[in-house]
Amino acid sequence: MRANYFLSETVTNLKRNVLMTVAAISTVAISLLLLGGVRILDLTINNVTSRWEAKVEISTFLRDDIAPDETQDLESDLANMNEVQSITYVSKEEAFEEFKELYADHPEFYETLPKDSLPASLRIKLTDADYTQLVAARIRGAPGVDSVNFGGDIIKRLLQVNSLLRTITLAMSVILLVAAAALIANTIRLAIYARRDEIGIMKLVGATNWFIRIPFMLEGVFAAMVGALVSGLVVLLSNEFLFSRVGNFLQFLGPVFEFSTSEILWVLALLILVGAGIGIVGSMLALRRFLEV
Amino acid sequence: MIKMVVVEKTYKGGIHALNGISVEMEKGEFVFIVGPSGSGKSTFMKLLTKEEEPTAGEIYVAGKNLANLPRWRVPYLRRNVGSVFQDFKLLPNKTVFENVAFALEVIGRPKSVVRRQVPQILELVGLGEKLDRFPDELSGGEQQRVSIARAFVNRPLILVADEPTGNLDPATSVGIMRLLDRINRTGTTVVMATHDHAIVDSMRRRVIELEGGNVVRDQSRGIYGVGT
Repeated sequence: MRANYFLSETVTNLKRNVLMTVAAISTVAISLLLLGGVRILDLTINNVTSRWEAKVEISTFLRDDIAPDETQDLESDLANMNEVQSITYVSKEEAFEEFKELYADHPEFYETLPKDSLPASLRIKLTDADYTQLVAARIRGAPGVDSVNFGGDIIKRLLQVNSLLRTITLAMSVILLVAAAALIANTIRLAIYARRDEIGIMKLVGATNWFIRIPFMLEGVFAAMVGALVSGLVVLLSNEFLFSRVGNFLQFLGPVFEFSTSEILWVLALLILVGAGIGIVGSMLALRRFLEV
Repeated sequence: MIKMVVVEKTYKGGIHALNGISVEMEKGEFVFIVGPSGSGKSTFMKLLTKEEEPTAGEIYVAGKNLANLPRWRVPYLRRNVGSVFQDFKLLPNKTVFENVAFALEVIGRPKSVVRRQVPQILELVGLGEKLDRFPDELSGGEQQRVSIARAFVNRPLILVADEPTGNLDPATSVGIMRLLDRINRTGTTVVMATHDHAIVDSMRRRVIELEGGNVVRDQSRGIYGVGT
């Protein structure tokens, strides 16, 4: 009978100010959608960077006068490093062949070059792109090494852009979340005001504060949850219909807009959890000071 | 049942409502609190339900020291102290039955209890035929009966009535007093603030007179004013 009572009270309150409720629900939905956007952006950037990181390698160009045992030593040193995944030796001849392939359209580039003009090199793949600087520094001074090259800058740039986008979107979503909590608090305050006589009598006859509070709290949490569900639905539908199209459009980046079901479910869980949190915070804000007598 | 020990109440702004009063009331007593406006009657009544807290002194109600009563226990105190007001405080959008049932529902009484006790108490106050009326379809006296039913439906140990006949004509007031007398005879302690001479004089019950925040008279089987 209690559950019945709370439920019918909550529904009455929600109906009493439809407009405020709709405003609160949509603010929650929009702010959570931004939050979901941040998560999707993160996942996308992860997809991009992990693809790019897989291609990152350190090219160690060897001097022409390097002794065979120096090459051996270098290779075995590298093989002993935990950060190193694989090492490929590229001879001068192989380097020249690659060069020819790369500039197949411009034979004038390589026709004039002596076949041994390109240096031999070791191509090192790492277990994680984060170690690039570290490993590069270790090899740099080694005997027989002419120069060390790696393509880490592009990734760095990408991560910087990502963190900037992330910060902006996150800040916007936090601001909206606060606004959403305030709107929910306001909705509840209106509901309380509309029923102040009843609340007065409830206190008079000895209803406990929690008994009075619960319908209002349910109202806040309900509004927030509806908002969360709306945003979750938009994420699901986007995953189903929108992301694949954007992915087709940006095919050159690879399958960066494909997310696993578990990734999407985690995003949904995040939205619903944060939604419930907003509902509770908003309700608490409204109820904090109304039962003083 | 009720005990006040040197109770003082000073409101914000320095108004002294009560200046260290001490009174004691036994279980089953019927006590009038009389005195002119501003004598401290309303403050006295509000202290009993912890609507106000004393600035100094101790108050015991139904065996509890109110000073030691944590806020979350106050609702349980109020279940033992029914309140009736001059302006009835009924909910206009609820029927007579619903107004009384509300008082039981919000303290979590099961539906079966509500269905049994509400018609019973409305019968007792003489409104057994008007369960489905709305408050504005009733006379003032009938509305006050509903409000008394609501205060008493939970069988409180104490009934506190602040000017319950203040809005009623003398003939109707007599009816209300008969009702309060009947409730008192069930063993309920009744504390009633009033400045209705005729009522106090006709009832001949204990009278506590307040003036300027002091008890100036405490008389069993008293009348409204000694000199009047």
